[in-house]
Amino acid sequence: MAVTVTPETFTMVLFDQPTIVASVSEIAAKVGMGDADIVIEVAEAVPLARCRIDSLDPITLSIEGGAFEDPRNPRQLSEHAVIDTVGRLLLQAGDRLDPAFGDPPEDGDIDLAHRVAWDVYAVGRLQQLGYESQRQRRLYGFRNRHGFTDAADDAFTRLWTGRDLTWDDITRLSDDALAVRA
Amino acid sequence: MRHALPPEDLARDERFVRNSFMVRATDPRLTAMPAEKRARRAPLNPDRADGPEAARALMHGIFTGEIQALEGAGRTCWDFPIGDGADEAPFELKLDMARQCWDEARHCEISVKLGDWMGTDIGEFAESVFLYEAACNPDPVLRLTGVNRALEGLAIDVFNTMREFGIQAGDPVLEFCEDWMLADEVTHVKMGSDWLRRLTADDPDRRTRALEFQRVVDKLFSLGGARGEEDDSPIKLARRFRELAGFNTEEIDEIAALSTESRQDLADVQDRAAAQAAATTSGER
Repeated sequence: MAVTVTPETFTMVLFDQPTIVASVSEIAAKVGMGDADIVIEVAEAVPLARCRIDSLDPITLSIEGGAFEDPRNPRQLSEHAVIDTVGRLLLQAGDRLDPAFGDPPEDGDIDLAHRVAWDVYAVGRLQQLGYESQRQRRLYGFRNRHGFTDAADDAFTRLWTGRDLTWDDITRLSDDALAVRA
Repeated sequence: MRHALPPEDLARDERFVRNSFMVRATDPRLTAMPAEKRARRAPLNPDRADGPEAARALMHGIFTGEIQALEGAGRTCWDFPIGDGADEAPFELKLDMARQCWDEARHCEISVKLGDWMGTDIGEFAESVFLYEAACNPDPVLRLTGVNRALEGLAIDVFNTMREFGIQAGDPVLEFCEDWMLADEVTHVKMGSDWLRRLTADDPDRRTRALEFQRVVDKLFSLGGARGEEDDSPIKLARRFRELAGFNTEEIDEIAALSTESRQDLADVQDRAAAQAAATTSGER
C-alpha cells in the first residue's frame, strides 16, 4: 500500500503533508482499504470544500483545501476533517469496487438527494467504527434534501445504522422519503 | 466597572476561538484562488449542494453576533453619563438599549437552540468580533449608526436570507425562529435611525460624521459584495424590511452601490494578484 499526497509542501495553507499521509493511512486501514494505493490531490488555493473520487485504480481523491481545514482556525489543518472526508470517500470507493453493491452513476451524475443519502450511509459506517461523526449535522443535511418528515427521519436512521446496503437500497430509501415530502 | 471595555477583554469560555478580520483579509487564497472557482458564487438557498452546510456556518456567525450585540447594547447603557452632550446619552436612549439587551439575550438562546437543531456545536466555527468593535465608538451616535443601522441592518439581510432558506427547505423551525428575530432586528435598526435623527437634529456635522461612519461599516461588511442585489449575491439586500426599519430608498440604493463597489474592489485585487503571479511565473521560465 502507498499513500501519496500532493503537494508535498503547502504554501497557501499551513498543512503538514506527513500528518495527512498518517491520517489517510490510519483511516484506510480502518475501512478495509489498507492494501490499496491511494493518491490525494489537494487544491490548496481553494478554500472551498468540494471533493470527489477521480479514479479507482489507484484510488485518487481530488480535494479542495477547505475540506481539510479547521473551521475555527483559517488555513490550519484539521485531522478530524481529513478522517471525515477521506473516510467517507474511501468507503464509497470501496462500495464502487464491490460488485454486490451495484452500479452507481459517475459522481458528477448522481442526483443530489441520492448523493446525500449515500454520504449518510458512509458517515454512519465511520461512526460505527468509533469516529466522531456529527449525527445531527448529517440529519439536518438529509432533512434538507428529503423533507422534515417522520419518513425522512426513518430513512436516515436506516442509512445511518445500515450495513451491507446496496445502491438500490440507498436510492429506494431516498426516493421513498422524497415521495412523502411531495 | 470601567468604561469602554476593549474587544479583547470580552468574556468567553474555552469553547470559543477568535479570529481577527485581518486574518481572513490577508488569507493568500483570497487572491490565489483560480478564477473559475471564484465565479462559483451563488445565492444561499437549499438548491446549492453546500446549502445546508453554509447555512449552519452562517447560523453560528449569527449566534456570536447576537452575543456581541448584547454586549454592545449593554455597554451603551453603561458607558455614557445621562445627558444630551456629545459624550452623553439620554435616559430614553438607554431604555431602548436595555430593551435591545433583552431581545439580544433571547436571540442568543434561540441561536443556541437553532445550532442544536442544525447540528452545530458552540465554538465549531471561529468568532470574529467586528460587531462589538463597531460598538466601541466613543460617540453614542456613531455607535448607533455603526451598530444599529449598519450591522443590525446587515442582520436584517442575513435573517431574511435565512428565513427564505427555511421556507424553501421546508424547515419550519428555522423559518419560525428567523421570522421572529427578524422582527426584532427591524425594531433595533429603527431605534438607530430614530436616535440618529433626534440627536443630530441641530448638529449637521455630527450627522455627517455618523453617516460617514455608517458608510465605512456598510462597505466593509458588504463582505466583498457577498451581501448585495446581484443575482448571485449569497445574502440579498432586504429592501422591504429595511424600509420598515426607517431606511429611505436613496439610503438603500447607496448600500446596494457600496456592495457593488466592494465586490469590484475585491475582484480588482484578485485580478492584480493573478496578473502578478502570472508575470512571476513567466519570469522564472
